[in-house]
Amino acid sequence: MMGKAREIHIEPVTRIEGHAKITVFLDDRGDVSDAQFHVTELRGFEAFCVGRTMWEMPGLTARICGICPVSHILASAKACDAILAVRIPKAAELLRRLMNLGQFVQSHALSFFYLSAPDFLLGWDTDPAQRNVIGLIAGNPDLARKGIRLRAFGQEVIDRLGGKRIHPAWAVPGGVHQALSAADRDGIRSGLPEAIDTVRETIDLFGRAFADEESREILGDFPSMYMGLVAPDGRWEHYQGALRIVDADGQIIVDGFDPSAYRDIIREASEPWTYLKFPFYAPKGYPEGMYRVGPLGRVNACDRFGTPLADAELEAFRECAGGGRSGKVFDYHHARLLEILAALERMERLLDDERIVSTHIRAEAGVNEREGVGVHEAPRGTLIHHYWVDENGLIERANFIVSTGHNNLGMNRAVTEIAKRFIRGGKVTEGILNRIEGGIRAYDPCLSCSVHAVGRMPLQVEIVGPDGAPREVLTRSSEEA
Amino acid sequence: MDLVIGIGNRLCGDDAVGATLVESIERPGVSARAVHQLTPDLAAEISQAGRVLFVDARFEDGDGIRLERIGARQPAGIGHAVSPEELLFWARHAFGTAPDGWLLSVPASSFDPGAGLGARTRAALPAARDALERWVERGSGGNECRENV
Repeated sequence: MMGKAREIHIEPVTRIEGHAKITVFLDDRGDVSDAQFHVTELRGFEAFCVGRTMWEMPGLTARICGICPVSHILASAKACDAILAVRIPKAAELLRRLMNLGQFVQSHALSFFYLSAPDFLLGWDTDPAQRNVIGLIAGNPDLARKGIRLRAFGQEVIDRLGGKRIHPAWAVPGGVHQALSAADRDGIRSGLPEAIDTVRETIDLFGRAFADEESREILGDFPSMYMGLVAPDGRWEHYQGALRIVDADGQIIVDGFDPSAYRDIIREASEPWTYLKFPFYAPKGYPEGMYRVGPLGRVNACDRFGTPLADAELEAFRECAGGGRSGKVFDYHHARLLEILAALERMERLLDDERIVSTHIRAEAGVNEREGVGVHEAPRGTLIHHYWVDENGLIERANFIVSTGHNNLGMNRAVTEIAKRFIRGGKVTEGILNRIEGGIRAYDPCLSCSVHAVGRMPLQVEIVGPDGAPREVLTRSSEEA
Repeated sequence: MDLVIGIGNRLCGDDAVGATLVESIERPGVSARAVHQLTPDLAAEISQAGRVLFVDARFEDGDGIRLERIGARQPAGIGHAVSPEELLFWARHAFGTAPDGWLLSVPASSFDPGAGLGARTRAALPAARDALERWVERGSGGNECRENV
């Protein structure tokens, strides 16, 4: 309404993991002055892990989330390896890598095909009742079918390694507790050609459909730093390697950084309106130290993937970005597809290594260090588990910095940019709300992990006037999420 | 090929009964798997099956096991988990075909954290095993719509 400033609240945010709301602040003319992404639930895993034995930690922390259990199991097992002060057997490392790549495939496929593709393939303004994967099946059945099968393949990799798809209690301190049989290795290998064909076809479709600058700017375009693990030669890395941070132009700011010393470069800020903390690059301060992680963060941070098909696609992707690094939020989707392709190519190489079926899979040791840090790349970004234990291995303190947290500043910036671009004179349509949600969805946040909150992620958009009084609330229930 | 899917969390009391029951199935022509919860990607596998039987705990809804025929139902929305009926819909909608669907439900009293089945669920196990055995034996000839034991 002209002449009266107000706030817009979007709650619940749909098709993401967790529970949150968005507040859009309008000025006197009804244009957007600011926007905030709030995470409104709290669980507190860091607190209730205290007093438990470190041997339980992979199994306990896997329960943080039903989407990301593999990520937490691996980060936790790595932190425990550090407490044991062991180098795990080569076969165990290869198997953990394989499972993490399976997690990349299933999680990225879920994000792209089930959660986000309905927006940009069916249209941002499509009837919300149709704008979901069921609608996608009706509109593009072949793509939807292949997307479902691609995710199923990622799940199958996890299943064959861990014995089940969700919460596999498989990675343990010192290695893994079950070897890979030759039959399961061959079974995984047999699914790779179809999976690779699917993702290549989707990259081609996506690249052609969204080749123009305007469609890719729809979710915001802003500079930031980018962070990810890279190998010593600058290749994309997901399990080991060192932290690299690059600026918006791809110039290296931090390289070869030991991830266990993360506290020397990363600090966390808090705001009173959200439970989700704001990690930032400490030397630049808060909030100037904003960096982004996840698919776009890793793709921007690395020199190359190190596999032929993914590297060819990366070259094309960077050409679209003018030869530099993309700051477009929408490009998270494209980067996600590139990572699926890279993950599948990496799987091929792992399965060709005969050591992967070795039965020497676990190093035995007791508590040799009182502190351990486990860092690897989860699909959504860099995941850090940090434990302090007593002489018996009981947890005295735990700290988790999860992927979604790293992107908190970036998500808030995206929400603000989209709101400012589309909301004029206080007019807010359902399609505009969906674009704002889409900005969050592109990051594929997992709030179950990041704030340790239970449940799905409903969305509320609240409109607040300059006097601080709510003027309008648009709510979507969790049943629709 | 027939498919049997046991649903449930083994660490949540009686919810483990679905996974427990399918563990024992080893029969040519029958594929069995236990899952924590149903997810849409199972639709691809289900669409390939001749028949599918879901085995699940049923919370405080009468005593005795139930073996019943189920049909496809379109989901109202997309959430973390899907129902057996919705999975049949996914199979038919995305892959063009859905098998005959059946649900074997076993009475349950508690899904609280903890291993082991409660007395009510344990008491129903013999009948559930028998019903499962008969469903598997019946092959593609089975056409009973509902069976309460």
